[in-house]
Amino acid sequence: MYPVFDKVTKPFKKLASAGREQFDQWFLQDTHRFTITGLSRSGKSMLFTSLMTILKHRSEGQYNCLPLLTRLPMELVEHMRLEPIDGYTLFPLEEHLSELDNRRWPQPTEQVYGFKLIVRLKQIARVKQWLLPYTDVVFEFIDYPGEWVTDLPMLNKTYSQWSDSTWAQQASEPQSHFAGGWQQFVREFDFESSPTSEKVQQLLDAYLRYLHEAKQQGISMLQPGSFLLDSDGYDWRKAGFTPLPAKITSDVSHPWNQLFSQHFLQFQSQWLNPLKQSTFKEADKQIILIDLFEGLNHSKQHLYQLKETLSHLAETFVYGNPNWFSRHVLNKSQIGKVAFVATKMDLAPAAQHDNMLSLLKDISAGAVAKFADKPIKFEHFLVSAIQTTDADSEADSLRFLNANREYVEASFEPIPDAIKAMPADEHFPLLNAQVPDDYLPRILNGRGLDRLLQFLLE
Amino acid sequence: MSAERPTPLRSKVSQRTLEQSQPKVDLPVRVERLEWQADGSASRLSLGSIALMSGALCVLGFALFDAMQSIIVNFSAYPVATSLLGALLSVFTLTLSVLTFREWQGFTNISQYTQSRLQEDVLAEMDKAPLLTALRDHARHFSKHSYAAQCFTRFEQSLQDDHSAAEVRKLYKHCVTDAVEKKAQEVLKKESVAAGSMTFISPNHLIQTLVIVWISLRTIRRVSLVFGLRPGRLGNWKLLKVLAQNLAAQSIFDLATDEVTNQISGSLSAKFMENSAEAVAAGALNVRLGKTLIRLLR
Repeated sequence: MYPVFDKVTKPFKKLASAGREQFDQWFLQDTHRFTITGLSRSGKSMLFTSLMTILKHRSEGQYNCLPLLTRLPMELVEHMRLEPIDGYTLFPLEEHLSELDNRRWPQPTEQVYGFKLIVRLKQIARVKQWLLPYTDVVFEFIDYPGEWVTDLPMLNKTYSQWSDSTWAQQASEPQSHFAGGWQQFVREFDFESSPTSEKVQQLLDAYLRYLHEAKQQGISMLQPGSFLLDSDGYDWRKAGFTPLPAKITSDVSHPWNQLFSQHFLQFQSQWLNPLKQSTFKEADKQIILIDLFEGLNHSKQHLYQLKETLSHLAETFVYGNPNWFSRHVLNKSQIGKVAFVATKMDLAPAAQHDNMLSLLKDISAGAVAKFADKPIKFEHFLVSAIQTTDADSEADSLRFLNANREYVEASFEPIPDAIKAMPADEHFPLLNAQVPDDYLPRILNGRGLDRLLQFLLE
Repeated sequence: MSAERPTPLRSKVSQRTLEQSQPKVDLPVRVERLEWQADGSASRLSLGSIALMSGALCVLGFALFDAMQSIIVNFSAYPVATSLLGALLSVFTLTLSVLTFREWQGFTNISQYTQSRLQEDVLAEMDKAPLLTALRDHARHFSKHSYAAQCFTRFEQSLQDDHSAAEVRKLYKHCVTDAVEKKAQEVLKKESVAAGSMTFISPNHLIQTLVIVWISLRTIRRVSLVFGLRPGRLGNWKLLKVLAQNLAAQSIFDLATDEVTNQISGSLSAKFMENSAEAVAAGALNVRLGKTLIRLLR
């Protein structure tokens, strides 16, 4: 009797459950889907670790963190929980905290992680308490290797277009300083011989050597960045490609051009397209993380290149501001808010922060121009996920723990407020600040995250 | 062709090792729940009570003294009793003086408080340092243990070195201005409900008027305390103007309900209706009183 009854009622139960979920989604959940667009070494993983640690201590320990975040009032937070997103591995927060406990920075991300951070807010209005007893503010984050994001602009190009533009980039500064060996290899390579797997492998190995060295030297625009990682998504050893000289890419019948064009199409269809669909879709807010110190550390040309990279990246996302109906009923996703975030701001003295903000605006100007005519909001932020440094008695100096765990004072000359103000023969070496012993209070004393979240939640 | 290496660049950061270890950073302050009651500190003996009691003791003492004097007329013969009475008189005089001083302070506090009110347009143009000075100067008028003082402490704990002047203003509004006003509204709501309920159960107009006077004075005191102001008993004079309006309006309402009652010829249901209407009116007018006060102190 019971199985028959269950069989009959099961569809109704399913329907009721689906209806309840939809009701919760519409009326009890305030979902914010973030895409974090950060280049490699821009501090994404540390930012996530810090954000979750701060929110946890804020809601459970009642620590006075994120004072400017009035959209999530401390007194209304009932609890906070972390949930995986279907199809993604949960962000390894505990592993990262354990790394910090061992005085090591979290390892760079080499695979994709997805997680939901759900903050439940109590309802205090008496009537609403009965109808809508709580509101869940849901943050959906996806952490992925920064190398992947630089590949997205390749979706809009053919192989020959990509090859020619890459070749042109390698001929200009700062890549030209590191591309000499690779270009020499190509000049001496016999392209008249047919493209056997051994020959292709030789070419790929030479190109990979260039990519790795250029990455070491702070070059941000390296394509395909995915080749730098051994991910399961695409076997570049089997179907890889490299840029080729224009005399080959202009000849559509050339066997090397044909082979690499075919591999390029495979890369687009088997790797980039699914990646964009799964990882970068459905976001309504974008955080673009920028490590200005990477450019300041190397040269003025690196800063120009960072600006160019950001400008290319902005072309690959869909910007706009759909209304509630389009977003919730038609499932139309467009990015309506963009935050340009300069990370690791604890590595610059507070007196230089105004200049850093101006520099950030200058570097993001090209990207801003891409959506200037669209109804979206954007803002610039300086953020430190952890305060590794201490203020010094001098305004232009700060103190930190160096690689030998010695306490060091660093004095800065004025940081330029725009790229053109940066002398070509000078640089600001990156401070190799180590994980402090008291890393937890320093995470909880991080700066700028409250401004950023407040802007994104408003 | 070998790679063309960039020329070494001049460093714009100089470093030197310090002979000390990195100082430890404290965890942020834990936010305590702001528990504040309008009459929270009433458990200890107030100065007013001491003055009253010592006065009563003086009367009793002098009466006893007189009684004793009638028996023993020689002062030198009763040094202890006369000393005790003298001491009691001293306590009475002292506490009365302190009480008078506190009343005078409360009286001047109102002027100082209203004069030191923060002008939003002036604050909006200030840089961070003068802004903080202005806010701290204003906060000095908050009485100790008041809700406003607690909110200001939380504001100070939330301040971070990288906050801009605009963010400090926003933080102050969130932590102090809005929080205090919200609390004042809560207190006012409670007081208005009390005013309505007590008016409803009052058997006649004399008691009703006394109840309204009492609740209105209590509302003034409690709302003022939320804002960190101790007006004192005499210091309420500025606020009495609002109270007078409150009572005048209530009297007009009384007349109207009396007339309706007469028309319905004094049945029980009419009495119920009269009291209900007056209760609603008393509550509403108490809200008006409180809101005017909040506007004055904001």
